[in-house]
Amino acid sequence: MILKHLLIKEFKQFRVNPFFPKLIFAFPVMIMLIAPLIATMDVKRVNLTIINHDNSTTAEKLIKTIEASEYFVLQSIETSYQKGMEAIDYGTTDLLLQIPEGMERNLNAGNPVELYIATNSVNSTKGSMGSGYLGNIISSFANDLTLSASTIAPPINISVQYLYNPHLNYRLFMVPAMMIVVLILLCGFLPALNIVTEKERGTIEQINVTPVSRLQFIASKLIFYCILGILVFTITFLLGKSIYNIAPYGNIHIIYFAAILFMLFIAGFGLLISNFSSSLQQAIFTMFFFVMIFMLLSGLFTPITSMVPWAQSFTYILPPRYFVNIMRCVCLKGSGLADLWFDFTMLTIIMLITTTIAISTYKKQN
Amino acid sequence: MAESNFNNLPHDAIVVEGVSKQFGNITAVDNLSFTVPRGELFGIIGPDGAGKTTLFRLLTSLMHPTEGNAYVDGLHTVRDYKLIRQRVGYMPGKFSLYQDMSVRENLEFFASVFGTTIEENYELIKDIYCRLEPFADRKAGKLSGGMKQKLALCCALIHAPSVLFLDEPTTGVDPSSRREFWDMLTRLREHNITIIVSTAYMDEASRCDRVAMMNNGRFISTDTPFNIIRKFDKTLLAIRADNMFQLLNDIRRLDFVDSCYTFGEYHHATINQQTDENTKEKMEQILTSQYHHTNLHINECTPTLEDCFILYSR
Repeated sequence: MILKHLLIKEFKQFRVNPFFPKLIFAFPVMIMLIAPLIATMDVKRVNLTIINHDNSTTAEKLIKTIEASEYFVLQSIETSYQKGMEAIDYGTTDLLLQIPEGMERNLNAGNPVELYIATNSVNSTKGSMGSGYLGNIISSFANDLTLSASTIAPPINISVQYLYNPHLNYRLFMVPAMMIVVLILLCGFLPALNIVTEKERGTIEQINVTPVSRLQFIASKLIFYCILGILVFTITFLLGKSIYNIAPYGNIHIIYFAAILFMLFIAGFGLLISNFSSSLQQAIFTMFFFVMIFMLLSGLFTPITSMVPWAQSFTYILPPRYFVNIMRCVCLKGSGLADLWFDFTMLTIIMLITTTIAISTYKKQN
Repeated sequence: MAESNFNNLPHDAIVVEGVSKQFGNITAVDNLSFTVPRGELFGIIGPDGAGKTTLFRLLTSLMHPTEGNAYVDGLHTVRDYKLIRQRVGYMPGKFSLYQDMSVRENLEFFASVFGTTIEENYELIKDIYCRLEPFADRKAGKLSGGMKQKLALCCALIHAPSVLFLDEPTTGVDPSSRREFWDMLTRLREHNITIIVSTAYMDEASRCDRVAMMNNGRFISTDTPFNIIRKFDKTLLAIRADNMFQLLNDIRRLDFVDSCYTFGEYHHATINQQTDENTKEKMEQILTSQYHHTNLHINECTPTLEDCFILYSR
């Protein structure tokens, strides 16, 4: 009964706030519309310089093939290695391909040929992805050559099939991550500001002398931010569905179940920080620090398996790790509860621990 | 009737036994003992930092004492804090209602968290709330200082508490609103509510049944305002001249003057007991001839609570 009145109070306060109601609509829309277009790891338009020592028809064909791909912009064709390196030094080109002298002759004689690739790796993603693409183009070119030159099949033929995301569409991978980012920011920061605002305005003094128990007080805030979170998540989900067509196979109930568990965790965590903060600044900076950790160590942007071992073990106590995994598996693979039981169990356990601490550390006395 | 909510109330609404509260090296409340009988309007006066707010927080169970025990309605402030919170009303010194909610919303909210409604105890707040009613839909943060205090008092009263704690309720409020506020407190006594009120204004203290003068965490004197003034056993002179600053220093140099301090447009001086009757003439003569003060006025005056406070707190 008291809980209901506390909830009504939270809604009234939220409604008259000049900023927050706009924020919970504008923020998800902005992130969902813009971020997947910006946060892309597809590398395109890499500047390329070719050092051609061969001047044969085969070399000519290879250059044509490379030029035809949308990944490279052919800056220049040089005749000396020196010139090519200069271009990299000046930053006019990112990638260097050296075609050795007598390539065609050696190929026809059946001798192995070595091509040389150098990349500017100041931007390591661009460097590695660019050289990777270039390598792929060259090997498929070489394959075609052997096929046309002889009737004998090449000794090894590698065929790669990309499961669950056949076109390696980066957005299918990014959109669920962005939905999580929105939840972390809104359902984490707003509660972190809530109790500390009551402290700064002194309203907590008046509440503390009422029979409202700390369980009721914290629970009212948890439930309130969970309702807010469901609203925000629905906005992001509808946008993700209609614009990027995410989760074509996924079960929507599982997605919402995971999202609610995660909202309760992140809101509880925000309240926990609010309990220990005596000023808004303190709450914001503390929350910001943890949000950074959540984003970096959850596998949102970088795969957990490529982290150093201690960091990998550390991610097991971070609920974002489980939520990220659930979201991706359900959205891309259509996984069910049975496949993700470990993630759900861990998410639930850590959520319960966090909210319990949030309730028990709220002090009505000192 | 509001006071029938709690049965079998002990005669003393508040019993404090040797309570101390320390913050590190600072002793905010120092081994304090007193009782307040039911239905009394009990005032605590003292300067800022005397320990008034700490005492209120101890009694409303917001703080645990370092030493000693305190009882409100016979309930221990540490052990029975849950019961205490159902029956006390507390108005903190700083305005602490929800500024972003309207007058009515605040009142409804505080009624509901105590499991009651505005209608149920309307009788109790009627006098005060009728002034607020025209502004019922205004945000609490947009009210004037005096209106805020009235709303805060309504919110502290809405659950018909048996004991009401008011921490400097009139600080920052204009004189006529202050007078009005005290009229309301006086009327509240008809409902047999015990009221503990702190203030830094000495003139307000004279409207209490009993007054405790608090300084450095201790009560230096606790009695009715009349008795406190009666116990003032020194001759008190009010002195005025053209050069007030010089006058203060000169009076302090006189050997028969016990103390001298500024008091409005006069200086008040207390006189040592041993000196004879014609101190006034003696002082007048010295100040004009020796120190050349012009326009000198010296009158014997009756002490106020403030004079008592200054005397006792030395």
